[in-house]
Amino acid sequence: MAFLDVLMLGFSEALTPTNLMFCFIGALLGTLIGVLPGIGPTATVAILLPVTFFLPPLGALIMLAGIFYGAQYGGSTTAILVNLPGEASAVVTAIDGYQMARKGRAGAALAIAALGSFFAGTVATIALAIAGPTLSAFALSFGPAEYVALCIFGLLAATILAHGSVVKAIGMVCLGLVLGMVGIDVNSGSARMTFGSTELYDGIDFVVIAVGLFGIAEIATNLESKEIRGVLQSKIGRLWPTREEFKDSWAAVLRGTGVGTILGVLPGGGATLSAFSAYSVEKRISKTPEKFGHGAIAGVAGPEAANNAGAQASFIPLLTLGIPSNSIMAMMLGAMTIHGITPGPSVIQNQPELFWGLVASMWLGNAMLLVINLPLIGLWVKLLQIPYRLMYPAILLFCCVGVYSVSNRGFDVALVILFGILGYVLRKARCEPGPLLLGFVLGPLLETNLRRAMLLSQGDWLVFFERPISAFLLVITAAMLLTLILPTIRKNRKAAFEASED
Amino acid sequence: MSTKPAANGRDFPDILAGGVLIFLGALGLWAGRDLTYGTPAMMGPGFLPKSLCGIIALIGAIVLIKAWSKPHEALDAVNPKPLLILVAAIAGFAFAAERFGFVAATIWLLVVGSLADPESRWKEIFISTAVLTTLGALLFVYGLGVQMPIWPF
Repeated sequence: MAFLDVLMLGFSEALTPTNLMFCFIGALLGTLIGVLPGIGPTATVAILLPVTFFLPPLGALIMLAGIFYGAQYGGSTTAILVNLPGEASAVVTAIDGYQMARKGRAGAALAIAALGSFFAGTVATIALAIAGPTLSAFALSFGPAEYVALCIFGLLAATILAHGSVVKAIGMVCLGLVLGMVGIDVNSGSARMTFGSTELYDGIDFVVIAVGLFGIAEIATNLESKEIRGVLQSKIGRLWPTREEFKDSWAAVLRGTGVGTILGVLPGGGATLSAFSAYSVEKRISKTPEKFGHGAIAGVAGPEAANNAGAQASFIPLLTLGIPSNSIMAMMLGAMTIHGITPGPSVIQNQPELFWGLVASMWLGNAMLLVINLPLIGLWVKLLQIPYRLMYPAILLFCCVGVYSVSNRGFDVALVILFGILGYVLRKARCEPGPLLLGFVLGPLLETNLRRAMLLSQGDWLVFFERPISAFLLVITAAMLLTLILPTIRKNRKAAFEASED
Repeated sequence: MSTKPAANGRDFPDILAGGVLIFLGALGLWAGRDLTYGTPAMMGPGFLPKSLCGIIALIGAIVLIKAWSKPHEALDAVNPKPLLILVAAIAGFAFAAERFGFVAATIWLLVVGSLADPESRWKEIFISTAVLTTLGALLFVYGLGVQMPIWPF
């Protein structure tokens, strides 16, 4: 069977000692930063991007992916034990998980969270393995017009599903697109928006923007206010859930996995959105909704399964279409570009060992996480005691040396300052920097294809509506924008995100 | 969105956002003023940058105007001190890295950077700088082969 063959190929790649090691490092680092508040997976991946330049391509991707899904595990540990969600996606887990911990059932909550996540991770990995070849075969027939439509759909859908104001997010996307155009224009050879600086002729490096917006700006905002430190409420208790708890949670895990896998694929989706949606699904479906908020195990199981499934499913659009759906996927795209790989439908065909190796490593990584997390919980909790003032100098050093190493020049480090300040101001203005990053990575793809499509059609904009796939994508995009103007949906969306801001 | 009467509302984060977007849009238009625009069929190098900068400025204007009639929303407390200290630390690193080498640049970065947290103590700064500089030199310069001199001479 072809399917088994490629899976074998994947596992043979993922099981080499070096790749196993990178998988382990990624999962471990992910758990670590998931546990520690004040540093998230986006910032970590941004900071480690330059380091991956020194690693083999597959090893680099395996490690970065491990950080992403590892953080989902780690984030839930602190959410349950100290009511301090390490990651945004674990915010809902804290609601019921912490209540369970106060009742002495922390062990069961942690075990269900870990087992649910493992199950969800497995399912999402299988979904990726199945969807990958199908979607990419479909995408191979895409012409320039389809790619333009796909980019626009991806970018706008990401702004709509993401947090906060849509208008501002669209502004951020455009800003990212413009930043992606700085440097020498490949078609005409003229220098664009370089302010006369020859250092900018090659464009702004992705690492500079990512480290500035997510690394430096995050340190600055973290240092502004006093540190919040959690207090361990109770003993962890027996790990193994009771029969009743098990009965209450397995269906929730299944539903959460489904919700997460579907939402993860959507642009702007991913772990956080999946977790919130799964929680509201569980609450609506439950026979005892009044228990939610007071330690309902389904309220832990559903979202935990969903955030992990969502995290992994968000790899699907990146690996099959080359379109990242959130800022972490944009970073993965950046990592692939550093190694000269263009993500998209051709990866599965030309570099099957890369695609299948990554898929297999995700499953292995999830299995490792189970081992890293459950027996070692005590150790992770101890780490919470480390004050931020001892952590951030190391982060700062990683940021600066990392950026320097991209082209071995101080200029890039100086440029990081500008983006750090920009990131800080944008945070104050409540603009999410994620869409900016998406715009930045998709800018060149969008521009090349737009120029090509318009050249082929001799300047006729209708070409985007004459080709069925591109027309379909654009109509969906327009419909999404329209529904946003309708008052009822706007209210629901606002309510959903307001709940998430608590 | 809110039905509260908001006669003297003003959404300050949005005002800031609008201002920033208008400024950046205008900056982009100015920086790309010499680029040819071209036609849709034969797009010049300035076609997309100029169009997008125009859109950015336009979005900024919309956000700014709407912010005036929105319910009151205060800006989060701004405490620029940590940011300014970080900027000084990183700028020093950027300047010193190529000229004076890893050790000098890193010591400046970590000592100055550590001052950004008022809770820092000199003893801790001293120890963490020593440890991180040593580990950093071993990991980055020897281990990963980052092209940076170690010593100033």
